[in-house]
Amino acid sequence: MPRNIAMTGLRTFLGRRLAARLVASRTRRKLVGVDLHRPQGLDPKVRMHAIDLTAAEAGSHLADVFQKEEVEVVVHLAFRREPSADLDGDHELETIGSLRVLHACAAAGVKRLVVASTAMAYGPRPDNPNFLSEEHPLRGHPEAHCVQNRVEMEGIVADWARRHPHTQVTMLRPCWIVGPNVSDAVVRYFARPVVPTLLGYDPLLQLVHEDDCLHAFERATLQSHPGIFNVVGRGVAPLSVLLRSAGKRPLPIPPPLLYRLRYYPARTQTGDRPEGFYDYLRYLWVAAGERGFAAFGEPVYSTQEAWMAFVSSHRTR
Amino acid sequence: MDGLCFLPPDPVVPMSGPIAPREDLLGRALEDFAQEVRRRSQGEEAEAGPDWMALLDELRHSVQKIGMRERTGGTDAFGFDPDLLATVRPLLRLLRERWWRVEVRGMQRLPETGPVLLVANRAGLLPWDGLMIAEVVEEASAGRDRPRFLVADWLVTLPFAQPTLARLGGVRACPENAARLLRAGRSVVAFPEGQKGAAKVFAERYRLQRFGRGGVVRLALQAGVPLLPVAVVGSEEVHPVLFKVEVLARTAGLPFLPVTPTFPWLGPFGMIPLPSKWSIELGAPLETAGLGVAAARDDLLVARLTEQLRAELQHMVDSGVRSRSGIFA
Repeated sequence: MPRNIAMTGLRTFLGRRLAARLVASRTRRKLVGVDLHRPQGLDPKVRMHAIDLTAAEAGSHLADVFQKEEVEVVVHLAFRREPSADLDGDHELETIGSLRVLHACAAAGVKRLVVASTAMAYGPRPDNPNFLSEEHPLRGHPEAHCVQNRVEMEGIVADWARRHPHTQVTMLRPCWIVGPNVSDAVVRYFARPVVPTLLGYDPLLQLVHEDDCLHAFERATLQSHPGIFNVVGRGVAPLSVLLRSAGKRPLPIPPPLLYRLRYYPARTQTGDRPEGFYDYLRYLWVAAGERGFAAFGEPVYSTQEAWMAFVSSHRTR
Repeated sequence: MDGLCFLPPDPVVPMSGPIAPREDLLGRALEDFAQEVRRRSQGEEAEAGPDWMALLDELRHSVQKIGMRERTGGTDAFGFDPDLLATVRPLLRLLRERWWRVEVRGMQRLPETGPVLLVANRAGLLPWDGLMIAEVVEEASAGRDRPRFLVADWLVTLPFAQPTLARLGGVRACPENAARLLRAGRSVVAFPEGQKGAAKVFAERYRLQRFGRGGVVRLALQAGVPLLPVAVVGSEEVHPVLFKVEVLARTAGLPFLPVTPTFPWLGPFGMIPLPSKWSIELGAPLETAGLGVAAARDDLLVARLTEQLRAELQHMVDSGVRSRSGIFA
């Protein structure tokens, strides 16, 4: 009896890497990929279905695919790598797209669902405890629309999971992912030689190495781990210490000035005001990782090790 | 940093771990210098007041060292930075021994092992009392245990305050943080009066405010740690708040703008604490041992214990105030 795995968002970083890992893990399960079109260099063993999650009929198409391919596990990774200026498009994909995936899962009787959320959904707040447990309310950030989409998505999934007790739902909340291969707005921000920071603020940051993050996703896909898990590296480090250890120069700017300077660039690039990103470098949003460590194993890289791996790989380029 | 290819990350420096030798040398040199100055000043005049020269010198050295240090980057999970503490230690020692002449009593009540929850009276906007309690408890436990002190929310949003306080061992006051610290075997100094305590005007000094909603007692019961009252006398006179201005404060992100005899008249110099005479007394632990974790859910019991603790602490503070010979003596 084949117990197949389907992945939405196959072209995302997590999707491509997770597919490669699952193929390499010699699992007996067949791998089914869903995205707009086939990514380059995809293993020929992965069966690809072109479905646009933003289309209204995506739900029934997905349900057909899940049934035809006898899918038992769905890994939902179809989220934006970074916010785009197309706010409606992002919402349609991330929130409504997730809703369509849930509809298909219910129709096809999927046994297990793994969803990629993010620890950014807790929101950077001065009144956060130093370590946010999985039970902490998701407060997001009003100026980060992709984070808000995930918060909304998590609410939808939690509600759906209550009504579908036969499907195990695993919600993974990675913090910022760094490593030699991953690339997004956060990585580009850190890759600069001179990094603008907020004058008077030096938050404790937490990073997870891409391999540790993928390992958690792989374990959650292949084994049963129902519940919510923060996916983080061990330890925290102040932003200033990270920058100094990488030989980068911080450029402290008073927050009101920085927000004014970055207003138009941020609006055109991300559709959000700059607070939506820079507040994550202002206030605490460190997640407690113990539950994830217990379920998926101790991460190989601590926050500082992940940072150094990222820095050294960017040096040699 | 030069030619960095791959540096293994430095391990987090354990709290009571050895201070880097370079720091230690400098620290010792500063100490010698301070002693020298002290000896000379005592020779000249027997009744030497606060040691201005030495204080200024220590300050200068500390400021010079900031940024020059080769930081290991070892902060712990709550952002405590043993490196920075080693740098400012001479200043803290000076404040404790010469400026406030802190008298310590009852430290034998600290248990030999295990974390404790210390409950203290709060005074002044800046958390000098927390820092001083951390200092004296660390010394009394021979460096085994440097408690973290909880700081109010509004300080966390203030630019510069949060990073500095976190490095010196301050942690945002919330039950999650305190419980986590206690679970990790770290003692905690809590100020259950909260902002009400810090916002007292001078006329209300040493009158303990309501103890929040009984959080400290619940915390101690849940964590199964002893609960010890700590009476700090002298901290109220450090920044005597004559009255509060609330209009301007809102824009600055402060709960209120304190008006003291020196602040805001002297500008930043007005923030220099006054040299009142301090005493820090550790009281007998509240009897919570036999109650167990389930007692934390008994709201009435928690409220009763909280009131008992408050009364005990008020009594200790009152007798401390009565027994001192003068505010600055």
